[in-house]
Amino acid sequence: MTESPDERGAELRELFFETSQELLQALNDEALKLEKKPGDEEIVRVIRRTVHTLKGDSAACGLRELSELAHQFEDALSLEGTATQAAVAEIAFAAADVFAGMIAAYRSNGKMPSSKALSKKIADLTAAPAPEKEKTRRTKKTASKSSLKTTTAKTAEAKAAPTSAKVVAAQWTEYEKLAMTQAQASGQDVFHVVVKIDPHCAMPIAGRQLVHNAIGVMGPVLAMRPDAKSPAASKQVEFVLASVQTAEQIAAKCKIPTITSEVHIELLLDATAAVKKPQTDSGSENQKEIPAEASVPESAASDAIPTEDSPAAPSPEAAPANMLENILRVDAGRIDSVLNLVGELIIGKSMLQQALNEFSRRFPKEALRGKFADAMAFQARVLNDLQRSVMKIRMVPVDQLFRRFPRMVRDVARQCGRDVEVDITGQDTDLDKGILDAIAEPLTHLVRNAVSHGIEPAEERRKLGKPPQGVVRLNAYHQGNQVFVEVSDDGRGIDSQKIRAKAIELGVATLEETARMSEAEAVDFIFRPGFSTADEVTEVSGRGVGMDVVQSVLHRLKASISVETRPGKGTTFRMKLPLTLAIIKALLFWVEQRLYAIPLNAVLEIARTFETEVHQIDNYEVLQLRDQVLPLLRLGRPAARERTAKLFVLVITAGEKKYGLIVDALEGEEELVIKALDDHTFSTDLVSGASILGDGRVVLILNLPAIVEHVARWRQQETGQSNSGLLLTSTDRMRLAVSAGTGSAVGGQA
Amino acid sequence: MEQFAAVKRSKDGQPVRYLIVDDSVFARKNLARMIETFGGQVAAEAGDGLTAISEFDRTHPDIVLMDITMPQMEGIEAAERIVQQHPEARIVMVSSVGYQENIVAALQRGARHFVQKPVKAEVLYEVIKYVLGEDGAVVAAAGAGA
Repeated sequence: MTESPDERGAELRELFFETSQELLQALNDEALKLEKKPGDEEIVRVIRRTVHTLKGDSAACGLRELSELAHQFEDALSLEGTATQAAVAEIAFAAADVFAGMIAAYRSNGKMPSSKALSKKIADLTAAPAPEKEKTRRTKKTASKSSLKTTTAKTAEAKAAPTSAKVVAAQWTEYEKLAMTQAQASGQDVFHVVVKIDPHCAMPIAGRQLVHNAIGVMGPVLAMRPDAKSPAASKQVEFVLASVQTAEQIAAKCKIPTITSEVHIELLLDATAAVKKPQTDSGSENQKEIPAEASVPESAASDAIPTEDSPAAPSPEAAPANMLENILRVDAGRIDSVLNLVGELIIGKSMLQQALNEFSRRFPKEALRGKFADAMAFQARVLNDLQRSVMKIRMVPVDQLFRRFPRMVRDVARQCGRDVEVDITGQDTDLDKGILDAIAEPLTHLVRNAVSHGIEPAEERRKLGKPPQGVVRLNAYHQGNQVFVEVSDDGRGIDSQKIRAKAIELGVATLEETARMSEAEAVDFIFRPGFSTADEVTEVSGRGVGMDVVQSVLHRLKASISVETRPGKGTTFRMKLPLTLAIIKALLFWVEQRLYAIPLNAVLEIARTFETEVHQIDNYEVLQLRDQVLPLLRLGRPAARERTAKLFVLVITAGEKKYGLIVDALEGEEELVIKALDDHTFSTDLVSGASILGDGRVVLILNLPAIVEHVARWRQQETGQSNSGLLLTSTDRMRLAVSAGTGSAVGGQA
Repeated sequence: MEQFAAVKRSKDGQPVRYLIVDDSVFARKNLARMIETFGGQVAAEAGDGLTAISEFDRTHPDIVLMDITMPQMEGIEAAERIVQQHPEARIVMVSSVGYQENIVAALQRGARHFVQKPVKAEVLYEVIKYVLGEDGAVVAAAGAGA
């Protein structure tokens, strides 16, 4: 009965895999809290509840190993005395890791991680405390009204001897518990029946089978110990039976001559309670589980912790069911395809717009024009809303990412002997799920670096007059069409002198160059590929491990990163991320008869100038714009133009710097739906994507950070050429040109 | 032989009717004697499983006492077939200790109970009372036994 059809089972599992991540997160969070406040019973309760939910959910999905391990942990936590032990937090961390490993293994059908170590730790936990209170509770249970003794054994004896109650404490699996609640929900009482096989019975296994048969007449047997198939000739059989009969009737049925000697019956779940008592139980229990907890019979409910060791079943389905009411879980791919369609509509819109423009030119006096224009405006507005709504679906709070960090920071801090606190702000900021997933790795990297290299050891901090506990701050906020994610620490900062020295050593810059560099420029070296692998720098200055990896991920996202550091005070890395990946507002322009686009939000202003205004400084082409000197980027070749030729200069920002991008002509602004280009078609990172315009033309979207970086990298080799300046190398130009040529083919497919 | 209070059918007060199945004539007679001390009546006997099935169909006994190891058809299969045809059939397996697994199998296939060879009258008596349940009534009247 616990077997669900494959499809539903798979769906349930998927849901579990997702929700379990939240549970694991909660487990980690609470463990962190507990570590700060050891022995806090409320926190332990929350941990237990989390483990309990995990147990129930995993059981419902048939993930037996996990549910049983969780069960073990939950039981251990339920015992009085365990909660106050310092080891609980440690075990909770270990449990979270093992659970995560198991879930991953279930998911990928991989190898189960060993749970032995954890199991042992949990066992140690239960072994330590004095089980005094537990004893009394058990006794109470035995003596409770619903327990019925039909044997010759003296009732008083059983009351007095808690050991005999041990008999009652069989461990039911999650399947069985689930079955119990279901039976209860269907209006049957659930009984716990313990039958002792007559010691004179020569065939105890057959006897067991007979008892099973007999009891089966009274109603469905939900659980049985030992298992029906077990070859062990135990002298006692336990059943959980769902029945509409009374305990007395069941007991009579179990009294089998020559086979059974004793029968104990206890009412576990009262069917009427399920109906009558919707929400009476202790408020400490997880709300999601109220239906299950409330159904515990009164005798048990009066206990502080009803689920203690009784098979009072959780309702594993309750939790997902509640969530399902308002939340629809949809495969991200489906949303992407809707977004893609919206993109197509936007292209359609611009086609219509062009047609209307042409129509207006041809029939300037046609009255229909107005109607068309109105309809178009309306459509455009709806389309806008549609696009925004779809994009909103993809948005998730940054918290999903941020909340993993406290645990990670703790672990890293431990590893390298630091004392670090995590401070998270702006976790409600929404970000595209795709971007969020993509920045997970770079962000992890930054945080890890901040802890291991940024923050000084407590000793050193004390000497410096800083609080011994370092702080790593995570922050996120919106600004315009961008989202900023910051990682900052109050550590030692980056020593720009050491960076300079390293840059010279690696030959990426000359002595004079480094001398002229501002602090910020010098620090930017850490983003250079190759620079990162220099481990002396990482050891001394503490930055640079894999920074180029961080950089490259962000480039792919059309995002940028900047760093701000004050020696001795700390470092802040700031990632600037687009709100979405799929649709951008872009500025279209021409360079050498080819159409290109750049994201409009990178454009600060558009200026016009003459070739004569372009100056040459140290192989840089620069332009004085008002009181600023802009380095210029020329995409095209620096052809021998007439000195009076007019130029368009797009003032753009890449990272924190401004550049002037020289273009031949402007086309206009357009909303572009980005079509991803696969690596086979494009071998350059200078282009981040392509798009189709309303009239079917293909436009390439330039990857500005990559272009700026390329220019910076190639500059070395171009030094000495008379008219070089900040140029794309000819190979880059060729690549761009090739890309543009193949672009239409790609667009045709898209 | 001990005396037992007679067990009669509760619906009509008639003696409980038995089908005894065993390939050993001795065993059959032994059981038959015990049954008579319970106030029961042997409706038929069978020496193998196949015969047991046909005898059951012919006599519709209240209780079947079924041996396990028999020629032609073993007791388990016979019991299973009978229960398939007549779910109300009360079959009590009779066997030696070594056949515990077979008894479990028979119980899973619908046998109601089992007794162990050598059969003790007082055990069988209790078993029969249990198997009959509400359909059997202990009659206190003296002299009911044989």
